[in-house]
Formats: sequence, structure tokens, C-alpha cells
Amino acid sequence: MSQASGYPAARGDTFVHDKHPMKIASHLEKFRRLDETLRRLEPGRDQELWIWTAMNAGVHLLNAALHACGATTESDAFHSQVEGLYAVPDRTAGTLHDAMLAPGDVMHVGQPPLAAPLPVAIERASKALRTIEDLRERFVRGSERADASLQHDWRVAYASCVRELHATLDACHGQR
Amino acid sequence: MNPEAHRAKAESIEQSLARCTTADYETVIEACMLAGTHWFNVALHAADLLPLDHDAMHAEFLTIGQRRRIACVMPSALAALDTIESLRTPYVRGDLPGGTQAAQRALDCLAELERAAMHARARGG
Repeated sequence: MSQASGYPAARGDTFVHDKHPMKIASHLEKFRRLDETLRRLEPGRDQELWIWTAMNAGVHLLNAALHACGATTESDAFHSQVEGLYAVPDRTAGTLHDAMLAPGDVMHVGQPPLAAPLPVAIERASKALRTIEDLRERFVRGSERADASLQHDWRVAYASCVRELHATLDACHGQR
Repeated sequence: MNPEAHRAKAESIEQSLARCTTADYETVIEACMLAGTHWFNVALHAADLLPLDHDAMHAEFLTIGQRRRIACVMPSALAALDTIESLRTPYVRGDLPGGTQAAQRALDCLAELERAAMHARARGG
């Protein structure tokens, strides 16, 4: 079941055919771009945007690792803000439509939940990423400020997430 | 959260946003969503469309009744936040081309949301 979406590209904007649909390589490129931006931000000075960018970078790398180990399927569909609802591009026509699909990309750790057992490294990465995701309510939407100790913990969590996911990608590529 | 706290959060995020360019379009769109939502809440609280103990998180998830009331009083602000939110799936989570232009559109919408917040505060206090 699918229907036309309300995304801007479906309302008259056009985009040219792209040879790199939302698969492992695209997630890795997204991670690279977000990680580069993150290096210009400081978790203290830029608290809100550091948390959000670290989270987005981590989710893209998580999706790449989940696809690589076969826990989720590479597909040319982008997760929406609604769990399980994806935007599917027609890269020739330049339109998007909504569809309920099996994952696919996850929006956040455990959203949607995955049936497949995950490699231990992905479990460890997910725990670290969830630490960052859980900062949103208090430190992005709320008014709490983090001290230097907390900022250090956040950097450690992000580094751990990235390290574990890169190890997973290396291991999975070795099996391919 | 009270309007002053929302304003402080919006301005803090905008200071971080200033370290990015539209080439960093994923982060720009997300920053516009975050700061814009805080400005949106300033406007909603000032216009008594939402109580101080109830913040809007995403325009997409407001109730139909809330959206109708907001659309009646400040349609351009609601449209601006809807537009920013609509850019996230194709350009932040997805890889459609045109991200730089999408980031500029998000920045224009953020400016509209800040204007709406200032206008609502001037009228409602």
C-alpha cells in the first residue's frame, strides 16, 4: 500500500537520476559528511547541534552496518518520521511516494525493532548510540547544560559507536 | 518550557548553525528544525495556542484540532515548520540531490518562524 507523499520533491521539484540509491555506500557518504561537520562543533559550546549531528552520523553508520551484516535490507527508500513509513523515490520521474515497508533503514536504535539477531559489535554500538539519542529530551529540547565530565562521556560514546560499527563493516566486507 | 527559555535555546542553536554553510545541508536542515521548533513554541505560548507545560515537538504530530487553530492564527509559521520537517526525510535521511538548495529553503523558513515568534510576542506578551 502506498500513496503520493507530501515531500517537496513530489510537489513539483525535480531531481535527476542518481546512480547511488540509499544503500551502504550512500550511508557511508552521509556518515562521512556528518562526521566532518561534527568535528567543527563542540559538545559544550554547540551542545544541541553536537548531540543531534552525532546521533544522525551514528544512525547512518548503523544502517550501513545493519545492511552489511544482513540484519536489514538495502533498499532505495528513506525512513520518515513515522516508524515503518518510508519515502520511496522514483529517480527517473523525480517524485516520492510513501510506503509501509519492512526495514530497510532504521530511524533510531530499535525503531523499528529488528527480528534478526545482531552481531555483538552492533549491540555494543547500539548501546553507545542510544546513550546519545537519550540526550535529546534533557539537553536539546530541555534546558539542561552539560559539564565537562558529561561532554567527555558523550565524546567517548560517539567514538565507541563509530569504532564498533567500523569493525562490523570491516568484518562483514571480509565475508563478502 | 517558558518562552524565554525557548528563545534562549533557539538562539543557542542558531549560534551553532552559524558554524555551518548550506554545503553542510543535513546539519543545517536539522538545526533549522530544532531552532525553528523552539521559535514555534515561543509563538504558540505567546498566542495562548499551547499552555506553557505543553510544548510542540513536531508540527507533523500536532492534533488535527491544534493544527486547525494554529493555521487560523499563524498559517505562515505552521507552513514554515511543515516545510522544514518535510526536508528531513529526502535530504537528511535520504540522498536526493539538491541538498544545498533545500538547506537554503530551511533557512528561509527558520527566518519566518523567528518573525512569527517576535510578532506573537509583540501582540501577546
